[in-house]
Formats: sequence, C-alpha cells, structure tokens
Amino acid sequence: MKKIVVAAIAVIGLTAPFLSQPSAQELPRRLGGENGPKRAADAKRPAPKLADGTVDFSGIWTGGGDAPIPRLLGKDKLDALMLPWAKQKMASLKEADDPYFYCMPGGPLRITGGFAWRLVQHPTEHAKYIFMLQEGNAHSFRQIFMDGRKHPDDPSPTWFGHSIGRWEGNTLVVDTVGLNDKFWLDSAGTPHTEQLHLIERYTRPDYNTLQRVVTIDDPGTFTKPFDVTYTAKLGEPDSEIIEYFCIENNQWGERTNTNPTAPAIPVAK
Amino acid sequence: MKLGVLVLGLSLAALAVPVSAHHSWTAEYDAKKPITVKGVVSKVEWTNPHTHFYVDATDASGKVTTWNFEMASTPALERGGWSRKTLPVGTQVVVEGFAGRSVAERAIVTSFKGADGKEFFVPKLGN
Repeated sequence: MKKIVVAAIAVIGLTAPFLSQPSAQELPRRLGGENGPKRAADAKRPAPKLADGTVDFSGIWTGGGDAPIPRLLGKDKLDALMLPWAKQKMASLKEADDPYFYCMPGGPLRITGGFAWRLVQHPTEHAKYIFMLQEGNAHSFRQIFMDGRKHPDDPSPTWFGHSIGRWEGNTLVVDTVGLNDKFWLDSAGTPHTEQLHLIERYTRPDYNTLQRVVTIDDPGTFTKPFDVTYTAKLGEPDSEIIEYFCIENNQWGERTNTNPTAPAIPVAK
Repeated sequence: MKLGVLVLGLSLAALAVPVSAHHSWTAEYDAKKPITVKGVVSKVEWTNPHTHFYVDATDASGKVTTWNFEMASTPALERGGWSRKTLPVGTQVVVEGFAGRSVAERAIVTSFKGADGKEFFVPKLGN
C-alpha cells in the first residue's frame, strides 16, 4: 500500500506544474525544452495519412506507458483480478526494488513512458518493421515485425518479447509474447509471468495524440484479461531524442548498482 | 555576504520540488532539510541518468565542504538550453535544494543562481 501511495505521489508530481521554475529564460530553447514555447493545442487537426492508406504514427512522442496500472484501472479492480501470489508479491515490493532504477530495460509498456521516444515505420509506407526507440533509461528499442510472420513456437523469454503487428483500418494492432518476468510492468510493480501476452491497439485520434489500448493477458497472474488505456502526446516542435545511458553514473541507492565503470561518488568526510 | 554554507529553514509550501521520472527524489533527499549553498563549482559530471554539479563551499574557519548536487539528465538540460559549459569549474554559484538522507552533502537542486543573481533554468529531474 505504501508503495502505491508513493507511486501516486510521483504521478501527481509529474503532472503538476513545476512551481519553482525560475523566470530566467535567457538560455536558448532547444529540442523542445520544457521552458520553451509549446505546440498549440489543435484537436481538430487530423492524424496524417500515408499514401498506402495507413495512419502515419512516426514521430517523437512523450508518455503513453508509464502510468501505474492500479491508478489506470482502480486498485480494487486490479486486486480483484490478481491471483493470491501476485497480490502478495505486489504488497511486498518497495520502490527501491524496481529494476528500472538500476538501469534495466522497462519492457514493452514502460519503453514509452517518462522519456521521449520515437516511432519509426520502415519503410514508411507498407512498413515491414516498426521500431520504438527510447531515449531514456537503458536507451532501448523495440521491434515489431509487420511482414506477416507468426510468433515462434517457443520463444526464449526476453525483456521486450516477440512482437508482430498488423493493420485493422486505422488501428495498428501489435501482439507480443515471449516476455521474461524480470521487469516490472509499471512503476507500481504490477507482477506478471512469462505467460504474459499483450495485445496493443494504437490509434491517432488527432494530430497530437496517440492512444494505446493494451489488453493484458497473463493466466499466471490474473484471473482474466483486462484492458488499460494510455495516451502519448506528440513532442514539441524541433524535438529529437538525445543520447542517455542510465548506467553511466547511476547514484540511485548511493551506489548499489554494480556498474564497475561508474565514477566514485565524492562526498564530504 | 561571506562565502559560506547557509542552512535556511525555508517554508516548504513556498518551494516546489523537481520530480524525477527516473525515480521519486524523496527516497534519497529530505524535503524537511532545505539548504542554500554558496560556493564554487569544482567538478561537472555531464552524465546520466542525472548530471552532478560539485560545489566547494568554504566556511568562516576556512574549512571546505564539497557538495554533490544532483540535477536533471543531460537531455533535459540540453532541451533547457544548457551545455556542459554553462556552469564551468570555477563559477561562483548559489544553489538551493534539499539535503541527502544518508549523506547530507549529497543534495538535490531546486534553484541555481550565478554570483550575479542570474537564475538558471532547472528542469524537472530525470526527464
């Protein structure tokens, strides 16, 4: 419960205006900084279409995967879905246990959370691949096969799993299996097993918005599949993703990570 | 104003704090320990997940304390117009923030001012 409260506070903090933001603006705004001008709200501008008739999802996005599932769904509802072991495990977790804070990959949901990320359709039209490139944390990518292939019969579990995608009209549907159980699904530590199967449905209801409805299906953890909805916003004008390797100098937990190349932390004696 | 370390009991209500997308800052830093440090930048770690600015503060007796100030990531600072040369080693600064829980001198930044009082944009941590 304490962990949930901490997560909720973190989320409130993330969405709250940064009240102590200094008035100093003499530094030049670059690459979509939070102290720079914002993209005009333009809900009426439609999502761009490609010549092949599909929706163009490419671009820099922020958010869309970092919200805690108990907040999206309601804690009581999530509790009712969890098998006893999962409820017990979640209750025992502390924020400091989150592998993400030790620079491990965040899995297919959190790759689109917190940091800027870029969606790449390759080739842009009649894409054979879709890539999601995450700026932050482990600086990871996710690849989605769009060429009609099937999942392997018995994939070795990985951090991002095996993803295949297809179009259903204006909706991009991505099906993922073969995930390991080493990452947290979300910052609240919602548990899962290697049986996790994700079905994501991406739409772009307007130019600035990407909506992602995820069906979470894991008979090892939940009594039945359920949906959570995430929203990402288009990055500010001139945004780019920038290099970021969390492992470089992670002082979280005052050097409890095991990166031997990180500089020592000088502190007062 | 003499060069030194001032620990001020600032009103928390008046101070908002940066929040990390990487993790919540309150696990490591104490919101009940606001600090103001006046000193000289002695080292810049232009690194991730967060940057660190080390500030040497000398007290009235001449004792030097090195503070390790955590700031946002390099992408967040670059987007805010910073570079690794914005506050080079040797710059006189006044830093406000919160002291660390286990090591007080490992602190988090909420405000960064040059010796001339010019305030630098401090982005949210972690993003």
